[in-house]
Amino acid sequence: MEFFLQQLINGLTLGGIYALIALGYTMVYGIIQLINFAHGEFFAAGGYMGVILLSFLAGQGYLQTHPWLCLGGAMLLAMVFCAFLAMAVEKVAYMPLRKSTRLAALVSALGMSIFLSNGLMLTQGVYDKPYPAAFSQGGFEFGNIVVSYLQIMIVLITIGLLIFLNILVFKTRIGKAMRATAQDKVMSALVGINSNKIISLTFAIGASLAAAAGIMVGLYYGSVNYTMGFVPGIKAFAAAVLGGIGNITGAMLGGLIIGMVEIFGAGYISGQYKDVFAFIILIAVLYFRPTGIMGENVDDTRV
Amino acid sequence: MKKKLFVLMIATLLVVPFLAGAATAKTLKVGTMSPLTGPYAADGNDIANGVRAAVAVVEAEGGIPGFDKIEVVPQDTACDPRQAVAAANKLINEEVVGVVGAYCSSSTIPASEALAEEDIPMITPASTNEKVTERGLPYMFRMCGRDDDQSKIAGAFIKDYLKAQTVYIVDDKTTYSQGLAENVAKVLAADGIKVVAHDHVNQGDKDFSAVLTKIKAANPDVFYMSLQNSATGSLMAIQAKRFGLKSKTVSQDAVYHPQFIEIAKDAAEGTFLTFGYTDKSKPAYKKYHDKYSGMFGEPGAYSGYAYDGAMVLLNAIKQAKSTDPAKIKAEIMKMDAAGATKQIKFMDNGDSGSDYVIWTVDGGQFETYWNPATGKLF
Amino acid sequence: MVWLFGLLWPLLGIHADGTLSFTKAFNVWFYIFAVTLVIVVVVVLQKQGILDGFGRSLGAGKTGLTAVYARTPQWAWIAAVAVLALVFPIFTGRYEQDVAINVLVYVCLGLGLNIVIGLAGMLDLGYIAFYGVGAYTYALLSVNFQIPFWLSLPVAAFTACIAGCIIGYPTLRMRGDYLAIVTLGFGEIVRIILNNWMELTNGPNGILGIKAPGIFFPSFAEGFSLEHLYLKKLHYLYYVILLLAVLTVIAVRRLNISRIGRAWEAIREDETAAELMGVNTYRLKLLAYAMGAIFAGLAGAFFAARVRFVSPESFTFLESATVLAMVVLGGMASIPGVILGALALIVLPEIFREFELYRMLCLGGAMVMMMVFKPSGFIAAKRLGRRSEEREG
Repeated sequence: MEFFLQQLINGLTLGGIYALIALGYTMVYGIIQLINFAHGEFFAAGGYMGVILLSFLAGQGYLQTHPWLCLGGAMLLAMVFCAFLAMAVEKVAYMPLRKSTRLAALVSALGMSIFLSNGLMLTQGVYDKPYPAAFSQGGFEFGNIVVSYLQIMIVLITIGLLIFLNILVFKTRIGKAMRATAQDKVMSALVGINSNKIISLTFAIGASLAAAAGIMVGLYYGSVNYTMGFVPGIKAFAAAVLGGIGNITGAMLGGLIIGMVEIFGAGYISGQYKDVFAFIILIAVLYFRPTGIMGENVDDTRV
Repeated sequence: MKKKLFVLMIATLLVVPFLAGAATAKTLKVGTMSPLTGPYAADGNDIANGVRAAVAVVEAEGGIPGFDKIEVVPQDTACDPRQAVAAANKLINEEVVGVVGAYCSSSTIPASEALAEEDIPMITPASTNEKVTERGLPYMFRMCGRDDDQSKIAGAFIKDYLKAQTVYIVDDKTTYSQGLAENVAKVLAADGIKVVAHDHVNQGDKDFSAVLTKIKAANPDVFYMSLQNSATGSLMAIQAKRFGLKSKTVSQDAVYHPQFIEIAKDAAEGTFLTFGYTDKSKPAYKKYHDKYSGMFGEPGAYSGYAYDGAMVLLNAIKQAKSTDPAKIKAEIMKMDAAGATKQIKFMDNGDSGSDYVIWTVDGGQFETYWNPATGKLF
Repeated sequence: MVWLFGLLWPLLGIHADGTLSFTKAFNVWFYIFAVTLVIVVVVVLQKQGILDGFGRSLGAGKTGLTAVYARTPQWAWIAAVAVLALVFPIFTGRYEQDVAINVLVYVCLGLGLNIVIGLAGMLDLGYIAFYGVGAYTYALLSVNFQIPFWLSLPVAAFTACIAGCIIGYPTLRMRGDYLAIVTLGFGEIVRIILNNWMELTNGPNGILGIKAPGIFFPSFAEGFSLEHLYLKKLHYLYYVILLLAVLTVIAVRRLNISRIGRAWEAIREDETAAELMGVNTYRLKLLAYAMGAIFAGLAGAFFAARVRFVSPESFTFLESATVLAMVVLGGMASIPGVILGALALIVLPEIFREFELYRMLCLGGAMVMMMVFKPSGFIAAKRLGRRSEEREG
């Protein structure tokens, strides 16, 4: 039982991270039907930005005195930064291709992903970057179950960002404009929505969520490196599709499921085949429900 | 309009490399192959830098008679067999006298076949697969030790010093880490120590919570962590500490890297590692360390082997006064000198033996800990 | 200029003690900036119309060329390319031959994938799995049973075909991007199994000691006898893969203009309509997978024979992505396009070797630029037949 509970907590943490990355995928997909392979790189860039800012603050001595303030500030800055990065990438690599085939945009996204991860390698060096150790590595212990403060923080921040996103998409004017653009670009342009701006904004929001995930991953695992975006990027893509691509609730659910399957697969069956289990679940679900768990194109929930 | 621009771009792309490739006469070219891009770029650059440091040392000491300068030709393999073969053929075209590389065994093996066709000596600083030197290739040498030697030392340490009853083994499914883990399991089984389980994680994983929870439940005396690189090692060490793992951790030479301590910080303390014995006070090591750290910062796990590999090659050319492969090989086999990392003496198959001891992390430093030859602490 | 702002991020270098250094990152930033500046200048000049004169002369040259192209019969072009391909190894060294072999292997792969993506319109991100199946089939047959290359070729094609059907079957109901992630998943599953099934594939250690292709060579030394030779020299291997590539080109061309090819295109354009017109979409989609897989299996068997060593590291997702990029970059469904695409994506990284660490960065940048400037590929496919709305226009 203890073993099961501990694995459940592990799965929640990993799933939460996947869910945050998957949201960006799903939002971008929902609005322009593009699988944005460079999304994993926004995640990595966010992690690097976090390490740069936090190390700088630690060097100045602020991190030791006001750790939470510093973390909040760094996270906000990294999110803003990645938002701009994503908007720039969108302008350069995707906007000119909006009228071409979707595969052209897909290859452009692949190229961008290679470009960005190698850019990170060249500028930040080939070695992993350590996060400054200002946050307690400890946690609560219930018998043999360990829940670290960082795990709680990850789950809380994830939930917070998800609530914020839901309010943004379903309760505000911008959200309404996003949903309208996703449904019909021409019609929404006719009623006065600037679809280019809305698409940019979607990229920005997706990337800033990825940046938040990047910082949390960096804090939790202790370091970042330039290839960190690739594997979670693919997993998050799988999560987004599993939940029904373009569907926000679906992406959250998909992320959690992939995380859980991986942890329980590794915990109870075999560590080396854990990715196989994740993909088999994905294939099985899609075989019986070809548009994912929550389905695609459900009018209002689609961004 | 766009077409014009496109043609222009392609034209520039095609012209640039020709402008870049003008070579001068009387240059001795030494090739290196390693993954300069992709997920293994950290170790790959350590290797290329090790060779650069060796060339800098030799040039500072007057170079090699008959040549104006020595040039390092680094090639990227990206740890992909196809690109490794292409890199080898590129080096053959560049007419290098010898090659130091590659990193992944799966790159070294096919690349060495191509180099062997042209009789170009190859010294690998990092490929530990036994097949590398056991294919009867006359010009294949290995600077690093082999998995079977290292596992014996680890086994002896776990049995004689730690006096463990139960061991939990984890590897990350590469030729190196898995081969080592299997050898350790064999050695331990022969000594009557119980291997609780032999688990695997995958390359590129960051989250080891599932496997660590399993280890915690099994509560072994020793946790043997066999990993391809130090970054993965530090991730595992941090998470193990967070879970409150009480087992002693034993690891190996690939994890021996300054960044292991830099990232894992206090989680690295008390980890034992098998690594070649390096007398840091001997002049050969000092010369290497001063040059390397002056040029590139603290050396990595494979920099020393790459440095020694390049030194072996350059010294052999100097002694032989020729770049003829047969003469170079004769000189290499004659060698018996102190290198930066180890005593350099090659066996008939091209292996260079190994002198592993146990190191530990103490106060943010790697320190020698236990000497298998005497069975005592240093 | 948001883009330039986005580029500011690599400017920051950081040390563990929290101090900042700008020097190392500055070099990279400088190069990127310089290249961007050149591109921006060219674009601006073009917008201002300053380059028009240059463009006119280029355009004149181009019309001249097109005229020449139109006048020369097609067989002359094909003959010229064939002669060039045949004499290529005579004038080149090892390295060029090696690169040429890689290009031809990827031509086979690209044309195979072209059937699935270009003709049938199914996005396949796990295509390299079939290549892996073919390579491991020949490797295992050669090492365990000493079966020669030429006999193994059909076996490799067959196993890859079976793998294609297995992967194809559950995906038939899916469309678009659901198909993409499922094929990606299958590709990863195949790679993970290759890496973990120690008894069969020897896991990460790979399989060593694969025989090169052999031929029977007539020998007149002691009367007439047939001598068995292993083709280890690169130029012999070059001719073997050239033969395979030519066969692939012919086969794909025949498929393209056959009834099956028409049916595939119908499925690509509108699956529901095709079904309504009596196209058996179920069987034909499966057939597309199987045909694509066969060519990948052949290329894989050759790859195993050429490197004489296989390991799972050759069959990663990145390889699938590279082949996909070749097809899209060259021009979907167009045979010369795919050949050009393979040429570009194999030769460019080799050219960029001069840039060492910057190699992959350049490749990524080049991919984006080529896509942005040529969104429909180098040579867009010509539609066979014409559509009603085009005739009216």
